[in-house]
Amino acid sequence: MAIWPEERVAAAAEGDLDTVDMTVNVGPQHPATHGVFRMVLTVDGELVVDCEPYIGYLHRGLEKLSENADYRQAMGWWDRTDYLAGMCCEGAYTMAVEKLAGIEVPDRAEYIRVIMMELSRINSHFMFLGAFGADVGSFGTSFVYAWRERERLYDLIEEVAGDRMFPTYFRVGGVTMDLPDNFESRCRWVLGSVRQGLEDLDGLLTGNEVFVERCRGLTPVTPEQAIAWGFTGPMLRATGVPWDIRKAEPYSVYPSLDFEIPVGLQGDVFDRFHVRLAECYQSARIIEQCLDEMPGGRVLAPKLPKTLRIDEGELYFPTEGTKGEYGVYLMAKGGTNAYRAKLRSPSFCNLSALRDLVVGSYVADAIIILGSLDIVLGEVDK
Amino acid sequence: MSAEARTAEPEIAALVRERLPDVPFEVSETKTYTDLRVAPEHLLALATGLRDDPELAFDLLRNVVALDMEEAGLEAKYHLYSFPHGHALQITVAAPIPGCELPTLTGLYPAANWHEREAAEMVGLVFTGHPDPRNLLLEEDLRIHPLRKAHPLQKPEILQGIEDGPPGVEV
Repeated sequence: MAIWPEERVAAAAEGDLDTVDMTVNVGPQHPATHGVFRMVLTVDGELVVDCEPYIGYLHRGLEKLSENADYRQAMGWWDRTDYLAGMCCEGAYTMAVEKLAGIEVPDRAEYIRVIMMELSRINSHFMFLGAFGADVGSFGTSFVYAWRERERLYDLIEEVAGDRMFPTYFRVGGVTMDLPDNFESRCRWVLGSVRQGLEDLDGLLTGNEVFVERCRGLTPVTPEQAIAWGFTGPMLRATGVPWDIRKAEPYSVYPSLDFEIPVGLQGDVFDRFHVRLAECYQSARIIEQCLDEMPGGRVLAPKLPKTLRIDEGELYFPTEGTKGEYGVYLMAKGGTNAYRAKLRSPSFCNLSALRDLVVGSYVADAIIILGSLDIVLGEVDK
Repeated sequence: MSAEARTAEPEIAALVRERLPDVPFEVSETKTYTDLRVAPEHLLALATGLRDDPELAFDLLRNVVALDMEEAGLEAKYHLYSFPHGHALQITVAAPIPGCELPTLTGLYPAANWHEREAAEMVGLVFTGHPDPRNLLLEEDLRIHPLRKAHPLQKPEILQGIEDGPPGVEV
């Protein structure tokens, strides 16, 4: 007796067999979602027909806590948003407070900050390069390559700030303490090792035909779409728009530094990968220029008030975070606390277009597309 | 600075007034961008004009901030950026007092979708016409607005060893 009726076998051969959509729950505890993120995929065979993202599992009330803490105390919470690049978040928050309060920062502190922010950027991009390789199918190899360099970067950050992931090294008006004695030689050595690591990863992934075949041409995004969805950072630059806030609305000492903005060609998954890879080289260039031009002097502004009170005012201060535009909105009403603090999180905005990117692709590609967004859930959920 | 220069409007506000003469708004300065304060009924007209006028061309909605201004009610702030011209500004809208309703900008800027969902759950703004007005970061059936000033910050609570207290701490 045949298990399949004759007419169904015939229909299957012609490709018009009725199928039932199936719901697949991915996450929140799943390595492919890069954190506590959940998406419910509706699949028709291997094809994704609907995707519903659910976020908020890591919501810690950053904004409420910042309104209830002193301007300086609140900085510790901002570290924990993009926890792969804590220094970039600290930088955005402290620069916003300084601008609101009108505090000048010594030159040396500005250079130290840029070095630390760019080291964090490399660190975060290495996390992406390693994890993305694993998403696509290089199993642990790319991950271990990336981890070797991240360990060296974390060691360097620990030598400077005393902590690896959540350094709270920046202060309103400068940085906590000066660099250690042998920092310059150590930093140059780490940058050499980072360049070697990038070449290794480039050879391992870009030199791999399977990797390139799976990423090339997957969900190309036009610049118009990217801007409408609110993409910023590498996601936008992959589409070919050379927009970087470090150049477009510069802050700190970036205007005096020489670096390029890598862009992609068609905004597909491969371009997103390649833009981040190329950005690491530019960050290394920035750090070397800062080491060359490092001025002497103080690292913390003199005569800072014991209690920071800021007169009535508001500002929106955008910076180039590792994932895109990391903006801080602050409103002051004369007290020691911010009246309102709001984070414009780049991962949050990039992730909001997930449904449009994933629908129509295969299930296995959906994981790669999610990986190519390079989200960090601490920042999405605030 | 001369008296004239002080009373003159910032460049971008003057440009908006010239290009969109039908939309009334008040101009003020923040530490970074020019702020245009507009009435809720003119928000859609202003946003449409800002996006579609070739001289203005604000094509990126970068941020939406929802505020609880206590007696003054709820407010929303929109931050816009223009890629063709490289200029940026902020729009402030005070929501009408009993309803707290504002028109949604999702029709103009798809990026507004999640921003507005977050603003709605956090302070209780209502975006009329929003395609998906569910909670985003909070639980779906939760009807509290944590970023209202009246909402208290929870005190730390001890979940273990309540009878004895943790070592060295008196309960």
